[in-house]
Amino acid sequence: MSNNTVIKVEGLSKKYLLNTNLQERSDTLYGNVINNIKSLKNIGSKKQTEEFWALNDVSFDVQRGDRLGIIGRNGAGKSTLLKILSQITPPTKGRIEINGRIASLLEVGTGFHGDLSGRENIYLNGSILGMSKHEIDKKFDEIVDFAEIEQFLDTPVKRYSSGMYVRLAFGVAAHLAPDILIVDEVLAVGDSTFQKKCLGKMEQVSETEGRTILFVSHNIETVLRLCNKGLLLEKGQLKTAGSINEVTRAYLDTKSGVSSFKSWEKDERPGNDITKLINVKIHTEKNEVNEEYDVTKPIGVTMEYEVLKDGEVFTHSYNFYNENGINIFNTHDTVSELRTKPRKKGVYTTTMWIPGNLLAEGVVLVNVAAIKIEPFTILMHEKECVSFTVMDYMRGDSARGNYILGFPGAVRPLCQWDTKYKG
Amino acid sequence: MSDTKIIIDANSSSFFSLKEIVRYKNLLNNLARRDFLVRYKQAFAGIMWALIKPLINILVFGYISVKINGSADAATNFVYVASAILLWQLFSSVFNDVSNSIVGNSNLFSKVFFPKIIIPLSTILVCLVDFFISLIILIVLFIISGQSIHWQIVLAPLFILLTILNGFGIGLYFATINVKYRDVKFIVPVMVQFGMYVSPVIFSTNYYLERLPQWAHWIFCLNPMVGAIDGFKYCLFGGDAIYNSSYFIVSLCVSFLFLIIGIKYFYKFERTFVDHI
Repeated sequence: MSNNTVIKVEGLSKKYLLNTNLQERSDTLYGNVINNIKSLKNIGSKKQTEEFWALNDVSFDVQRGDRLGIIGRNGAGKSTLLKILSQITPPTKGRIEINGRIASLLEVGTGFHGDLSGRENIYLNGSILGMSKHEIDKKFDEIVDFAEIEQFLDTPVKRYSSGMYVRLAFGVAAHLAPDILIVDEVLAVGDSTFQKKCLGKMEQVSETEGRTILFVSHNIETVLRLCNKGLLLEKGQLKTAGSINEVTRAYLDTKSGVSSFKSWEKDERPGNDITKLINVKIHTEKNEVNEEYDVTKPIGVTMEYEVLKDGEVFTHSYNFYNENGINIFNTHDTVSELRTKPRKKGVYTTTMWIPGNLLAEGVVLVNVAAIKIEPFTILMHEKECVSFTVMDYMRGDSARGNYILGFPGAVRPLCQWDTKYKG
Repeated sequence: MSDTKIIIDANSSSFFSLKEIVRYKNLLNNLARRDFLVRYKQAFAGIMWALIKPLINILVFGYISVKINGSADAATNFVYVASAILLWQLFSSVFNDVSNSIVGNSNLFSKVFFPKIIIPLSTILVCLVDFFISLIILIVLFIISGQSIHWQIVLAPLFILLTILNGFGIGLYFATINVKYRDVKFIVPVMVQFGMYVSPVIFSTNYYLERLPQWAHWIFCLNPMVGAIDGFKYCLFGGDAIYNSSYFIVSLCVSFLFLIIGIKYFYKFERTFVDHI
């Protein structure tokens, strides 16, 4: 184990037994006795439990200071992995070596008791998370400050607003001082201000204090923002491990099966007897097809299509969606010359440029269409056929400026600001 | 960077270690504090309940005992019963609380790692506080009835400890079963209630043995609380509370056997509690 490896996981597997027949669940002694009698009767018949491998032969290393994003669909084994790493449940097979003190936040506010005051809960929760009395004493004021609950310190937390409750809970957790911090996506509760605060704190912990963070989330933007390394789990198996960009890309590919370029075989081309789509690509001004695009630069979307009938008039349309399914914007061609002219048979290309500094960071999915305006008819409409990732490379010239934390919003224009001194 | 090294694999298991418990003493304290604070919160009589409950029991069972024994010295009889009832209540609350502790705190250990033994240990502390409060009753009765104090009284803490270990050992066993079979929460109160009638609580061991056939004496003494209660009475009142020392020793052995079985059973399944809860 090299000096910089803080977590080494080898051949980790976890098996669960599922009761296949719900009616014969044996959660009472009586039920179990009955089941035993039944199974005695039909010795040799099929077992009623089914094996389920929540994790299957997973191996990886984590280096010191890494912020590892663990992604995967529901049921991919992310939570099981975190539970094993935080020693909550044992593995069925395999081995893990951890160097350093580990703390897990699978849920904020674990052990909070509604009848106890904020002060009492800070001590209780802190001790559950493994802090000594001395450590809590030392951090007490900071925690109260972070949670902004000073005047309610002696009020039972059941009378807190949910915002206060979550802030207090995270406040305690954020002041833990482990070498390795495990955070589950449940942290993503609370409003965006709170999330920002949490992420900011985590970023700070990792960057300034060199701590290692393992983070699970469904929100790709958050993972991209926070993590530098990634792990993709699929059905309990490790699919990809590497840089966070590679891994999120692989995740989105498995999710939507689309990338920046798509072309169709001759007999599979979408469309009707007037026009058919040949290919669609996303590219930079230099006509490079990438998976990632700079947020400050224009992004080109080009469709190549075939017109099968002479004399038809139609125009082109793109719809853009982000990974949360929000329709960012739609556009149709109202400017190119050919759009109003009857077409000749043949192959055409149409390029539309998304201005730089318009899209927010994250994944964008594109719908492509060919439409007639009057009467409105859809000739061809291919949904989510290409996708790309918008990245902010943090040079300070984007709408972010030098701000590095979570920056929500579907679009991110670089706006004009004027500030005047009025005396 | 601390140089802690943790190895997790399929076969690693932990066992009862004082060192670990000392390391988590802060959690132990805080859990006990929580349970204690919460127990009497929003109750008008508050901590007084720790007195009222045993007081009622003492009055009822003391009265029954005096009536049946027809004893001339009612006050002494009352103290006698009171000492046994308090000890029995300590046992029953430890037994009951420990057996429900794991299931009741599953939200804790399914989210954060710590030695799970801390949970039942912390419930003991709460039961002890209640017990010490209720001792006030015993002291008052002691003074009223004009009992003299024997040298053996210095041994009394040993039997309080034995009572706790009895409740803890059996409680751990049931706490483990409780993880899978919630029947435990119904069985335990029945056991506690029944157990009181086969323990020298209302009547002395003497009283029972005189009325039982010879072969049943051993069975009676397999009850680990026989040794604890008799020992406690011996410390308080001296005299012939320990009816027969071999019966007493049998009872002590059973206590430790139960304790060992309880701890072993608990640690055998401790790691997989989360998967079954």
